[in-house]
Amino acid sequence: MSDHAIEHDHVHGGHDDAVHEHAHPGWQVYSLVAVVLIILTAMEIGVFYAPFLQAWLVPMLIVLAILKFILVAGFYMHLKYDGPVFTTLFAFPLLLACMICGSLMLLFLYLGRHTGY
Amino acid sequence: MKPPRHIRLTRASISAALIAMAVGIAGCASGGPYPLDTLSPKSDLTRAILNLFKEVTILDSIVLVVVVVAMIGAIFVYSSREGDPGEPSAMHSDVTLEMLWTVIPALILVAITVPTVHTIIRTQPNKWPADTLEVKVIAHQWWWEFRYPTLGVVTADEVHIPINRSIHFAMTSKDVIHSFFMPSIGGKRDVVPGQENQITLTADTPGEYYGQCTEFCGASHANMRFRVFVDTPEAFNQWVAHQNEVPMKPTEGPAAAGAKIWADAPCAICHTVKGISGFSKEYTYGFRGPDLTHFGSRTTLAGSMLKNTPANVALWIKNPDAVKPGANMPTLGLDDQELSDLVAYLESLK
Amino acid sequence: MAAQPKPLHLEQVNYLEGGGIYGWLTTIDHKRIAVLYGISALLFMALGGTEAMLVRAQLIVPNNHFLSADFYNQMFTMHGLTMIFLVVMPLETGLFGNFLIPLQIGARDVAFPRLNALSYWIFILGALSLNFGWIWGGLPNGGWFGYANLTERAYAPGLNIDYYDVGLLILGISSVMSALNFFVTIVNMRAPGMTFMRMPMFIWALLVTVILLLLAFPALTVGLIFLFADRYFGSHFYEVIAGATPMLWQHLFWIFGHPEVYIMALPAFGMISEVLPVFSRKPLFGYPMMAYSIILIAFLSYGVWGHHMFATGMGPVADSAFAITSMLIAIPTGVKVFSWIATVWGGRLRFTTSMLFALGFILEFTIGGLSGVMHASAPIDLEQTDSYFIIAHFHYVLFGGVLMAILSAFYFYFPKMCGRFMNETLGKWHFWLTTIFFNCTFFPMHFLGEWGMPRRIYTYAPDMGWNFWNMFESISAFCLGASFLLFFANIAWSWFNGERAGADPWNARTLEWSIPSPPPIYNFVTVPTVHSRDAFWVEKYGDVEASGLAEKRVNVEYQTLPTPEEIAAIHMPLPSLFPIIMAGAIFLAGVGMLVGWFRLVFLGLGLLGFCAISMSFEYKEWGEDNPHQVHESFLKLDNRKVGVWSFIGSECVFFASLISTFMVYKSRSIGLPDADILNIPLTSFSTFILLMSSLLMVLALAGFQGGKPKVGTFWLFGTAFFGLIFLGGQVYEFTSFYREGMLYNTNLFSQCFYTLVGFHGFHVFLGVVWLLVMAFAGMKGKIGRSRALSVELCGLYWHFVDIVWVVIFTLIYLMRTIKRA
Repeated sequence: MSDHAIEHDHVHGGHDDAVHEHAHPGWQVYSLVAVVLIILTAMEIGVFYAPFLQAWLVPMLIVLAILKFILVAGFYMHLKYDGPVFTTLFAFPLLLACMICGSLMLLFLYLGRHTGY
Repeated sequence: MKPPRHIRLTRASISAALIAMAVGIAGCASGGPYPLDTLSPKSDLTRAILNLFKEVTILDSIVLVVVVVAMIGAIFVYSSREGDPGEPSAMHSDVTLEMLWTVIPALILVAITVPTVHTIIRTQPNKWPADTLEVKVIAHQWWWEFRYPTLGVVTADEVHIPINRSIHFAMTSKDVIHSFFMPSIGGKRDVVPGQENQITLTADTPGEYYGQCTEFCGASHANMRFRVFVDTPEAFNQWVAHQNEVPMKPTEGPAAAGAKIWADAPCAICHTVKGISGFSKEYTYGFRGPDLTHFGSRTTLAGSMLKNTPANVALWIKNPDAVKPGANMPTLGLDDQELSDLVAYLESLK
Repeated sequence: MAAQPKPLHLEQVNYLEGGGIYGWLTTIDHKRIAVLYGISALLFMALGGTEAMLVRAQLIVPNNHFLSADFYNQMFTMHGLTMIFLVVMPLETGLFGNFLIPLQIGARDVAFPRLNALSYWIFILGALSLNFGWIWGGLPNGGWFGYANLTERAYAPGLNIDYYDVGLLILGISSVMSALNFFVTIVNMRAPGMTFMRMPMFIWALLVTVILLLLAFPALTVGLIFLFADRYFGSHFYEVIAGATPMLWQHLFWIFGHPEVYIMALPAFGMISEVLPVFSRKPLFGYPMMAYSIILIAFLSYGVWGHHMFATGMGPVADSAFAITSMLIAIPTGVKVFSWIATVWGGRLRFTTSMLFALGFILEFTIGGLSGVMHASAPIDLEQTDSYFIIAHFHYVLFGGVLMAILSAFYFYFPKMCGRFMNETLGKWHFWLTTIFFNCTFFPMHFLGEWGMPRRIYTYAPDMGWNFWNMFESISAFCLGASFLLFFANIAWSWFNGERAGADPWNARTLEWSIPSPPPIYNFVTVPTVHSRDAFWVEKYGDVEASGLAEKRVNVEYQTLPTPEEIAAIHMPLPSLFPIIMAGAIFLAGVGMLVGWFRLVFLGLGLLGFCAISMSFEYKEWGEDNPHQVHESFLKLDNRKVGVWSFIGSECVFFASLISTFMVYKSRSIGLPDADILNIPLTSFSTFILLMSSLLMVLALAGFQGGKPKVGTFWLFGTAFFGLIFLGGQVYEFTSFYREGMLYNTNLFSQCFYTLVGFHGFHVFLGVVWLLVMAFAGMKGKIGRSRALSVELCGLYWHFVDIVWVVIFTLIYLMRTIKRA
């Protein structure tokens, strides 16, 4: 049936947006992504509970979270398929958000320590 | 008929120069003295700041002159008016010009930034010489408390420091955010509850200097002033010795009657007079208001709002809120006789 | 919120343009909304000016008792708030943004006309909340910056700060809404051919301004929410007693506050860049550099907030970093000033009032900018900050700069707005009096600042050497105020009696001058195609560089009434009563918050939700692409999708502020409970559930897109169900914490945790409501096939909530052990 959907799109949506927005993937890709997401989450929880990984906890968790983040944003939110406009719309605020988080933590937890900031 | 270009240029430049001169003269010639002047430094810290300020002012002035001259040129000289003959210019980009006005300001900013960063690092040391005198500044709505942990002195609204000795102000607030501003001696630094901010400096000229709170801190923000007395080492030591004395309890006259009123009225809940009342180690009793042990020897009262004269002290005690809106000190409801006795007692606390 | 555009009929044109008071209350025409913003802002300008006059009257002599200390504090607070939020921003984005964006980019209206009306009504009600105190007493009195902890109940027991808090929250909603609207409009609704590098400079400025609005306001919103929680729910976000610090407020406030400075300055830059070329008969000098410098300024403006806090003891490293970034901003700003001068250079000048204000702007703004460089240098700032020097600095920037630009644009665009010129004689008097008395009022403040006069003091001693200049400034300020009476009189007179203006009264360069003045409801009979910068100039003279002295190449026919065939091609949305009702609902919620009567809050929010849902049922069929709009759009994208994505961008900053607060505060929290209380097995389960709900969501979308609406509907219900399970888990988690004694205000950890995770939960709740609405619509066969856009939008929001949870789960739950390390 998914073939039919694509065809339908071409017939009805024959206007220009087809140029910018590629067809979205079907349930197979979505399910595969879901499996990977579950595995990554399981790994996160595993890392959390494994005593010998405590030293690496923070970097590993961050890497795993970023992977999950990218998977959801890229496949479920279709950033991989939609035009670069949307990726920019999301990436720039995200960068800013990370900068705000980073600089506030730096300011409070490190740079201001001498005054009990 | 429009006069030739060079005449227009001269005229416009002369007018601009005249306006600038008028402003400058007006600024300089309006009298003084200015007790909170930021341009008359009396310590190493403020001298460093002033040097930086001078440099930036010179560079700024150059840029301003360039902009003004360019504007005069653009408006009065190199442009034409409706009805003039000939075609106006159509120039709308010039790479060389645009590079120049990007790069030259950038260089100017480098010339400001380098000494700026140097001064920041030099004036915010994290180590101090061994003989540094530490002064704890504690801000309250709306008065200043000063403690000298090594000397055992506690005072209010008037801080004494010796010259040629490194002074380290460690500042915190008991309530809201204030700012400790003493322009001649140390610039300013916010005084934040839960945080200990620092100013480190060495004063170099004896004298009496003004200070004031500069962070909005509620109703009487305007009335939170203080004095800095920069003393010679001898005078400073003398002052410390005097501060460590316990005042004599008066035995006769209105001062003695005043002492009795002091003991009966709730004064001691908030104020300390060493040897008489107040002072618990936990700072729970006798510390909400200024320490009055040597009140009579201070020059001002009520956050340095008023000169310390018997009339002003009476005015203050009679209705603190009228003098300093929102003041935490209650109205005691004393009659005139009691008031003058109490004032006499306070003034006797030399 | 996009009203379904419908083909226009001739009689509708009259209907849309008329309608009396009811017509104005229900209008969704961007030009009328612009006028509404303009009138309100001018009224508030009179009010803010009066407040300034009172401030100056109090300071005219030392030890003055004209105003009480507290009333003085209310006046300077309200002067700042009024001028920033109720005058400058509504004039720039509200009046000129609304009016000019569609006209300059060749669109018929903004992307979401009803949202636009809603923004206005929310704005006006937010403004009323700020000004409640005029009726009931107790205006905000903590400064426009409202520094904690002076704003806590302990130090500000009255309602003053609550008006401030709720008023700014409501105004923030309005600003973010119109920012989102304008962003989508500019990005997606430009006329064919209008690429980024062909946009008028005002559009560039507005584009960057609305990005700043979208990404700066959430930080303030978070700060205000914390303040509200402190004042109403007994938490301690800014109180030392709990281990918190009032510095958090300052950081959040200035993360918003410094971009806010550019939110005010950039549109002014844009206006000047429109006025100068027209009255110099020259194209704008250095257009690409002008555009890039706007972008650079905006980007840097996020990295300089610390220069408002040099005195707070951030430490030498932070001081140096913020000093350097602040210096950097001077470079693109300098490029702009020099380019403006070069635009005038060699031109054929016409000294209209508008031109005079524009030239005045350059000089005054330069002075303000140069004094700004002084206190960008942290050590100098230690002498200058919080003194009158700063007041001089920012009045040169905001009055001499921004307001002069607004006035310039006012005289420039008044003919376009109402078809009549403003009186030039009065205008020139206004210009000279304003310029002279502005400088007399504010230049001496530089001196006062150097002589140490602190800001925000209601009185001063007579022996400080400040007496003369204060009296001088006060008298000048009264004259300055009086000069604005000329301005108001000029508007009132010219509105009815001004000389008639044609479509292109100034021989101008951009598209808005190619249509009649005032423009018809549909703006353009046929949407123009743009071939170059300064499109209208090129149409008239054939070349951007043409001097405009020669005969016009094309004798432009200004449109009269369109033919019926042309009318049929125009699609316009219809007026609606929903915006004003929804704004009323938000207002009810705000009043409920103010008086602490939370049933009213729920009533307001309920009404809001009801309106939103019933409005969306106006559509015959959901989920269709809007082929007409997509076809006409610049990027061939659906406005709603661009809108949802920009909303998500804004939400990123909202959650970033909440998350960084949690990360900063968790190590400062005192006593138990701490992060060890968190139940990892339970939340791991919730995480799986939420991830799976995202899978169901995409399956639903695939179902609709694949032409199987029943399958899609089934999965939509499934998604909502999983969402409910997640919420149930959260309710269980919170109640079990409560039973263990972890109340909202127990300690820093508890309040940060509940606020962050609670707000995420609230987003999940909204998502579930949205999903259920979609699911029921799917059941009724209301969701079309094609790309099923409405399902996709709902999905985008839902996945965003999911990835926020990915972050929260990692940072808050799994990294709880960092504390022990």
